Amino acid sequence: MADTVYQPYIDSKQTPHRVQGYARTFTRTPDAFVERPVTLTERTGPLGVEQRLAVGSADFTRTSPDGPRAQGPLMLLHGRVVDDCDSPVAGAMIEVWHANASGKYIHEDDAFNAPFDPNFTGGGRVVTDADGRFSITTVKPGPYRAGPASWRAPHIHFSIIGTSWMDRMVTQMHFPGEPLNDFDMLLNAAPDGTPRESMIAHALPPSIEAGDASAFEHVFVLRGHAGSGDGG
Amino acid sequence: MADPSVWQTIGPFFPTRLAEPSCTDLTELRGKPARGTRITLSGQILERDRQPMKNAIVEIWQPDSEGLFPHPADPRAASADPHFLGWGRCATDANGWYRFRTIMPGRRADNAGTRLPHINMMLLASGIMRRLTTTVFFGDETVSPDDPVLTAVPPASRNRLFARRAPELDRVTDEAYRFDIVIQGAEETPFFLD
Repeated sequence: MADTVYQPYIDSKQTPHRVQGYARTFTRTPDAFVERPVTLTERTGPLGVEQRLAVGSADFTRTSPDGPRAQGPLMLLHGRVVDDCDSPVAGAMIEVWHANASGKYIHEDDAFNAPFDPNFTGGGRVVTDADGRFSITTVKPGPYRAGPASWRAPHIHFSIIGTSWMDRMVTQMHFPGEPLNDFDMLLNAAPDGTPRESMIAHALPPSIEAGDASAFEHVFVLRGHAGSGDGG
Repeated sequence: MADPSVWQTIGPFFPTRLAEPSCTDLTELRGKPARGTRITLSGQILERDRQPMKNAIVEIWQPDSEGLFPHPADPRAASADPHFLGWGRCATDANGWYRFRTIMPGRRADNAGTRLPHINMMLLASGIMRRLTTTVFFGDETVSPDDPVLTAVPPASRNRLFARRAPELDRVTDEAYRFDIVIQGAEETPFFLD
């Protein structure tokens, strides 16, 4: 088979390593980077990683199938994972985590003054189907205070393990029309235009299928695409 | 062609339950042991001013004991160890330590050169906006002087990419190796443009 083609990330289309106002980005960024070739170790990755990472329910709003629902507006997310030539990435491991409807995470370091929700699972894992698609049911996360005068707009975290070392992706998805989007330090660290817009989900029209939930769709693009077969 | 999604930090609240302790032991799969020499690989992650970095996520990817990958990009995948996945994840503790139990990776001839035994490693954490990637080598440079990744690194800092035998950390069944990471400043670990 032709080798998959992987391009380096382009700085002008990615978040910078150092973000003004986010002190840790300055103490956790190397002074220098070294160019490296893409060898077989980078072209490969853990297919079937669900043998290590247990996949659970795609419904984060209850801790058991018949249990009570978490507080907050119910939402559906229809996601799709594609490579950078729009071919679906099947079997990708999607890990999801986000704050509850009040803006509180399930994490001991979260000091935000908002209530826990015993029925909210905080997130989970799903695997993409043959067409690169996945769906989750959850409650829409609330905004929360992240610094003395800094708030995060509602967002959901995603970690994706695709097919290689090169296509690993960690990103965040925001919601359209949120007033705090204009002030979110991380969303606005992404370059204006397409990169920033690519982090915001699309709302889907109300439908019978979505029922009591609002519905969104979002596309995740992993680096790499199949080579032409002539070595190019 | 579409641009890849925008990288973001995992933030401070990556759920601890998504870094199961079972992900730190690579030495078996589906109930059967992997082939090869059992080792531990551990070390401390230090940010600027050599402050230990807790709550970081370390992920590794490596070939099996014969240098093979269970992946279609590897023409020799059919011979790869069926009981070795080659992938692990570990959250650092309060003092910035990670620890994996794994198999000594094998040497392997690549089209660009003969690879030294090596393990790819990446870091995720609050404040790391795009993953930091490096490669941990075992042995010494004279074994495979043409390793294409090691030779891409300036000679003066290559020694920072080698894991060291650490007999004081040995266990009954495992040879211990230590690999510390300095993210920034003097003795900075070489990281790769991604």
